[in-house]
Amino acid sequence: DAASTPTSLSRDWLSVQEVVDAVSSSSCGAISVFIGTTREDELDGRKVIGLEYEAYELMAQSEFTKLCADIRERWPTVTHICVHHRLGWVRPVLPWQISSPHRHDSQQAIQRCIDQLKANIPIWKKEVYDTQDSSWKENAECSWSTRNKSSSESV
Amino acid sequence: MCVCVLYFAKSVELTGVKEEIVAVPTPISSRDVWRLLLQRHQRLSVLQDQVVLAVRQQYVAVGDQVVTLADGDEVAVVPPLSGG
Repeated sequence: DAASTPTSLSRDWLSVQEVVDAVSSSSCGAISVFIGTTREDELDGRKVIGLEYEAYELMAQSEFTKLCADIRERWPTVTHICVHHRLGWVRPVLPWQISSPHRHDSQQAIQRCIDQLKANIPIWKKEVYDTQDSSWKENAECSWSTRNKSSSESV
Repeated sequence: MCVCVLYFAKSVELTGVKEEIVAVPTPISSRDVWRLLLQRHQRLSVLQDQVVLAVRQQYVAVGDQVVTLADGDEVAVVPPLSGG
């Protein structure tokens, strides 16, 4: 049967257990989990004191749906996919879980899930520093990021 | 056509606006949509070559692609992504 794919963007603290419960299934022998957290980073002597996440929520939902369809096409045994992402002011936990009968598919699927999310989902992160300034970050996976404009590197 | 332009992340800081109604001709190239927005908010030029648009929640690169717009359509300014 078509398995559910609950995804959510939330301004509340995220529960890893809730996400585990959403993907658990008697047919699944493996659940792969990715939890994204904030590193306590320093940038040029400035300490990151927090993050702010913003999203184009309507489009993030439709892009999540496309992402899940992509995962299911590549790994048809994947049973449940659950992605939660925080919005607003955060010291974040981002739990993502994918379940499948055997671990290989769910491990590969979650890697792709993270890569594709970073490339395509309209969510933005701003680092706020202890110097009271801030900067919007860019994922290298995003094709229109300045981090992608390499000049003459050979692969 | 009057479309609803949505700004996100850095583009909000550059324009001072999160959303506005803009009159645009249709059909129109995505490059011309971008130019129109630059005329309204010159500081958006900071994002030149680092931005795409989203028309009715579909990504459109800034370039020759022609889009057909209807009244009330959402057009979003999409700086480089940083979710995850």
